[in-house]
Amino acid sequence: MPDALTVAARANHVLVGVLILAGLAFAAIGAAQNDTFYLRLATEALIFGGLALSVDILLGYTGLLSLGQALYFGLGAYLSALVLKAVPSFWLALAAGLGAGVVLGLVGGIIAIRVRGVYFALITFGLAQVVAKVVYNTRSLGASDGLLGVPIINIDLGLASVSSASPAGFFLVVLAVIIALYAVSAYILDTPFGRLLIALRANDRRVPFLGYRTASLRLSSFVFAAVIATVSGTLYPMLRGFVSPELLFFSTSGNAVITVLLGGVGTLMGALYGSVLLTVLRSLIGTWTEHHLMIIGLLFMGAVIFLPNGLMGLVRPAVERLLMRKARP
Amino acid sequence: MAEVLDYVQFVLAPQVVTGLAFGVAVILVAIGLTIIFGLLDVINMSHGEFYAFGAFAALALGWLGLPFWLLLILVPLAMLPVGYAVERMLIQRVFNRPDRHVTTLLLTFGLGLVLEDAFRLGFGPNPYRPDTPIPGAVELFGIFLPNYRLFLIVVGAVVIAAVALVVYRTRLGAMVRAAAFDRNMAASLGVPVAWVYAGAFAFGISLAGFAGVLLAPIYSVFPTMGRDFILMAFTVVIVGGMGSIAGAVVAGLFLTQVQAIAALYISPVWTDPIVFGIMVVMLMVRPQGLFGRLGHA
Amino acid sequence: MVKAFQTSALAALFAAAAVTGVRAADPIRIGVVTPLSGTYAGIGQQVRWGLDLAVKEVNAAGGIMGRPIELLYEDEEANPAVAVQKAEKLFEVAKVDFLTGTVSSGSTLAVGQLAERAGKLIATTVSFADSITGDRCSPNVFRVNARAGQQSAALAVWLSKEKPQAKVFYLGPDYEMGRSTVAAFKASAEKVGASTVGEVFAPLDAKDYTQYFGQVRAARPQVLYTSVAGNDTVRLLSQLQEFGLLNNLSLVGASGTVTSQNIAAIGKAAEGFVTGVGYSTEINSPENKKFVDAFKAAYKAEPDLYGADSYGLIYAYKAAVEKAKSTETDKVREALRGLKWMTPQGEKTIRAGDHQAIQAMYVVRITNGQFKIGGEVKGDDAIGPDTCTRF
Repeated sequence: MPDALTVAARANHVLVGVLILAGLAFAAIGAAQNDTFYLRLATEALIFGGLALSVDILLGYTGLLSLGQALYFGLGAYLSALVLKAVPSFWLALAAGLGAGVVLGLVGGIIAIRVRGVYFALITFGLAQVVAKVVYNTRSLGASDGLLGVPIINIDLGLASVSSASPAGFFLVVLAVIIALYAVSAYILDTPFGRLLIALRANDRRVPFLGYRTASLRLSSFVFAAVIATVSGTLYPMLRGFVSPELLFFSTSGNAVITVLLGGVGTLMGALYGSVLLTVLRSLIGTWTEHHLMIIGLLFMGAVIFLPNGLMGLVRPAVERLLMRKARP
Repeated sequence: MAEVLDYVQFVLAPQVVTGLAFGVAVILVAIGLTIIFGLLDVINMSHGEFYAFGAFAALALGWLGLPFWLLLILVPLAMLPVGYAVERMLIQRVFNRPDRHVTTLLLTFGLGLVLEDAFRLGFGPNPYRPDTPIPGAVELFGIFLPNYRLFLIVVGAVVIAAVALVVYRTRLGAMVRAAAFDRNMAASLGVPVAWVYAGAFAFGISLAGFAGVLLAPIYSVFPTMGRDFILMAFTVVIVGGMGSIAGAVVAGLFLTQVQAIAALYISPVWTDPIVFGIMVVMLMVRPQGLFGRLGHA
Repeated sequence: MVKAFQTSALAALFAAAAVTGVRAADPIRIGVVTPLSGTYAGIGQQVRWGLDLAVKEVNAAGGIMGRPIELLYEDEEANPAVAVQKAEKLFEVAKVDFLTGTVSSGSTLAVGQLAERAGKLIATTVSFADSITGDRCSPNVFRVNARAGQQSAALAVWLSKEKPQAKVFYLGPDYEMGRSTVAAFKASAEKVGASTVGEVFAPLDAKDYTQYFGQVRAARPQVLYTSVAGNDTVRLLSQLQEFGLLNNLSLVGASGTVTSQNIAAIGKAAEGFVTGVGYSTEINSPENKKFVDAFKAAYKAEPDLYGADSYGLIYAYKAAVEKAKSTETDKVREALRGLKWMTPQGEKTIRAGDHQAIQAMYVVRITNGQFKIGGEVKGDDAIGPDTCTRF
């Protein structure tokens, strides 16, 4: 009998597969219809899904609620915009984001990981607020207007070249990047290191008794999450052609937390599905009424109370049951 | 010498006094927050919205003709059942989960969103400002003091003292502290823990509402006003010690004075980061804050 | 998914047209991406009121070239990222012919960039950052409201006449817009002989401005210039009054500092406040009287500059489309350049070189809660040079 965590991981594989297939189908239909908006909306959902993924790594696996993850996402976006305006290279921007994520993650992590629980949440919140304010007032970063004029780039994939202006093409590129981020996260979380993080979430006071140093574990997890967020952020200016300080504000971090909760904490997949779900919901509700904040707030409260395992909590057990049935001969 | 005196009289002293008025307001909000955390272990992210709730309620009742003095008593009292209902119907549902801290934080975060939009729905997006109930000012030693701010400081101090008195010197307060220290033991000693919990939450948000009524004439009333205080209040609670009323008072006074005086010397935009920095340092050096937790002192 | 949506939308449209019995004339769609929630919701509300009123009037008179105008609203939540997303929805799915409504300059610039890439035109009726028709101008972005430079020019004229050689203290909100507005006015003021005795920038959403009053007192200015807005103005002015600082001080500020949205909350503290602005309900023209009466009747509230400029935009667009005999981007752009049209504020002209509207600017002084006009500066005098080099 495979253990519960491995079955869960396998269920995740199925769900990833579904997401990829759905994405491909969506891209095909969109391209055939010459659609621009829905493909770009989906691309945006995936990009913010990457941010949600980083929140889930911290919350769902390490047990740390970060209310300021948008800091890394936003800084990744700004860095990407600056790089692209100088050298329109996709890979360079991505690499810069990766490097920056490590550095920023270390800096932020050293400050934040000394504490847990609500204190951690408040430190991450405050850190994001402070940096956002600095960016908001820095003229060389465009101040409150942000940076415009990020050029449309051509992404060289070896065999073919995709333009960031192509809705379907760029959607597929982003899908690939985000799925890659997911795959790396899933892999790492399925290793002994990952199991330790889960142990941290379950009961972090016992972990040192097992001989592990929680501080370095938490720092590693934090840096990892920061990198995921920063790399996701690098994709944003490629899609929209600009960055603005609002990408670092609490509303962005808060949305990521809502996404993870609605999708299902600690499932990784929940972050991605949740992002798609929330983007669709917001777009629909937003057109229908200007009181979308209240509706999303009520939905969120309902999810916290009645659906603590989110969307994945409903979907995944069904998938797991299917897999278990297949496993038994 | 004359210059120094001049400086003290015209710049420093007024700054300290107005910092006091702001400090009293922050303390009132922070005490509610710290009681809720100290007793219920709940981080109330919607606390700022209950502060706004008090202000809006006072506004609405004021339009019906009720005088300010009545509102100062009526609104907090009216908010008690509201807080009680929120605690029993919403917070209790997630209270017994293992990740209570996170869940209640998220739940109250959602509640805050809903309340803010509700204010906009009910009152529109534009600001309101009730007239200052005590107009005019006095001049003490050359320091200009609006009467209403003096009133605020006095009333605020009285209320804070009353709360401290009740918590530390009365039987009711002893029950509250016992329930905070060890819930099961307190229950087995006959303390009606469920009531105490709900009552504490109600009391906490009622204090925030009281602050809202008190401050409306000087800070005006609008849907996003809850965000005004929340970061400062949380910082005060953390630096003072989650659950400690004495801590909230000391930290509240200290931090608001730091902010007021710092504003004299550096660009005011940096006063928030400084306050935040103090919070970070406190968390790194002494995470339980200055005074530790309610009941655990 | 996309196809289902389109089919059902078409079906609904046909059904609606059939049921109402109106000539199934293809409406001209104008998208409005404006903050309907959040801090700027009050401005968004005025924008909506102004646009709705104008569209109602235009449609009642037969629409534009026989086609009714349809407004489609989306909430931008004062976040350029959201604004761009919603704008793209309106451009690509609803296929609007034209877009407006953005409030912050960040949103206007970002949506403007999107419009360029999508081949559509937008106009702003609120954003007053000079850069939008200055160094960051765009061939697809138009502005029908007065920009910061025009506002300062009007106010500087008042200053030189009423308070020559005055000592001025500047108190602005600490963000790009606040700082540049203060800088612009300081430049104009110093040119007419005023001297600067102090400058303080308070954080946005500051609750308590009393911490700066020590400095203000010490500097003993005759004039205090401020560029705060919305709730911040309510607090600053009421606290200034609370502390008795308004007794010997002339208060002046930016156009958006005191508007019909916050004047009620400010109350008596606003008395005597002077600003340079492109609109006042007191403008004594038949067009304005008609507009104000219609606005009050429809919304039980007074229009402010945002409502008036938004109202004027619809008529500008109408005039342009009628001149171009088309709603095609390039033709309308050509028609808008140099367009002269009638608004409640008098005749405005859109300068071809930078797409900025030239209009008379008014010196407005708040008297008994009314925005009374104290002077007027001609459009050409207030406009300032064309610094747009992109086209």
